Amino acid sequence: MAQLGFYFDQSRCTGCAACSIACKDKHDLPVGVSWRRIVQYTTGTWRENPDSTVTPAISTYYSSISCNHCDDAICVEVCPSTAMRKGDDGIVYVNPDVCIGCRYCEMACPYSAPQFNAELGVMTKCDLCRDRLAVGEKPACVASCPSRALDFGDIEELRATYGAEAGIEPLPDPRITQPNLVIKPHPDAQPSGQGTGHIEKMTKVS
Amino acid sequence: MLHELPLVIFTIFAQMSVGSFVALGIIQLLGHRVPHATMEKVTRPALYAIGPLLVLGLAASTMHLGSPLRAPNAILHWNSSWLSREILLGMAFLGLGAAFAVTEWFKLFNYRLRQVLAAVTAVVGLALVYAISQVYSIRTVPAWATVHTPARFFITAFLLGGLAVGAALVIAAFYRARKGDHDDEAMALLTNSVRGIALGSLLLMGAKAIGMPLYTSYLARHPDPAAQESVRILGETYGGWSIAQVLLIFAGLALLGYLLFRLSGGHAGRRLLPTIALAAFFLVLAGEVVGRMLFYASMVRSGI
Repeated sequence: MAQLGFYFDQSRCTGCAACSIACKDKHDLPVGVSWRRIVQYTTGTWRENPDSTVTPAISTYYSSISCNHCDDAICVEVCPSTAMRKGDDGIVYVNPDVCIGCRYCEMACPYSAPQFNAELGVMTKCDLCRDRLAVGEKPACVASCPSRALDFGDIEELRATYGAEAGIEPLPDPRITQPNLVIKPHPDAQPSGQGTGHIEKMTKVS
Repeated sequence: MLHELPLVIFTIFAQMSVGSFVALGIIQLLGHRVPHATMEKVTRPALYAIGPLLVLGLAASTMHLGSPLRAPNAILHWNSSWLSREILLGMAFLGLGAAFAVTEWFKLFNYRLRQVLAAVTAVVGLALVYAISQVYSIRTVPAWATVHTPARFFITAFLLGGLAVGAALVIAAFYRARKGDHDDEAMALLTNSVRGIALGSLLLMGAKAIGMPLYTSYLARHPDPAAQESVRILGETYGGWSIAQVLLIFAGLALLGYLLFRLSGGHAGRRLLPTIALAAFFLVLAGEVVGRMLFYASMVRSGI
């Protein structure tokens, strides 16, 4: 089966968090658990004009991130119980009957995808809405986006259509975990590790 | 600083018990010409103190699980996860150590076989210290994924293990002397052991003093912003704790020097030995606990 992944058009995202709310609602997530998060990254500098005056050059952009179902999934690698698995469809999921809730995957994932559910005592994370996929529907986040900034599908097809960019600040260098994510960057986006700005806000719908 | 306390206790106790076992082994090896009875009299009390220490550590480590009853699942992924390997090696070290203690106590099998068992236990213990260091060497945490992590953990193991054994030997000897058991041969072995431990500890603390600035400069030059954040946490947020750690190390160094001075001072100079040995151990233990809390506090992951 083909590896599935997400496509994110950063140039369209307004940071409205509809995706995060749709995810929360679909999976009935408890307070504090947010499988899809929106990071706002702000950069700023001064542009010097020929007449020696300066103009502020500031920008802010959003990244909507859930789980990238990485090829080199560090959560699967470090999980001591084998509860964290990568299925044939490439979806990384937690087996709640095996997980011991040690939170080691949470410590390792550079996208903050695995999240601890204190009521259940186990880790939980985005499963790409497998139940919706099975009946031919799109994942809740993709379906909810009012800007059509999110899509999903066979990662090879997504890369053929949109390119292979996934290393946008403040996201980690994609060489670390090989995420199945394609980003169409915001015009002012900076490459991972070379950012000059800071994380302005992390929207976790709680 | 306190939220990872169960892990601070587990890692320090596990490393200390491995270090103690190895320190006792070295004393046995170097003192192979000393009569067995003397050797046992001097080293035994320390040997039996190791087990409870490790059990306490392992018990503390299960405190942080979301589903503690499923703890046995934690060994299933041994072929990929260092956390599984750490737990397996921890249990193996505990089991082998207990087996060795039982065979020693009841004098089961012959002396050679017990020695072999002790050697295997020591090797498994060293593998355990390495596994613990690899659990934290995750590639998404620049402050941890460095050779400094195993180096640091091994130094902790030998430093605390050695000093714990030193303190235990001196205190046991003190009680024997109080009961009127004056044994010159045992005293000589004790003096040599404590002297060796003190010298070894001074060297290890020297290595620590060299390693700390090297680590800071490594982290400061690291390109990942997460590394810069770790530097900021260690230097600013918990700067006071970092200074406290350095002060404790220096106090421990000074006390160890004083201990060596006392050791060379003949009989009269030795009355203070138990106090100094214990104080040195607790000072260094405090320094190591603060250092380990800082280690956990410095955890900043790459990405978001």
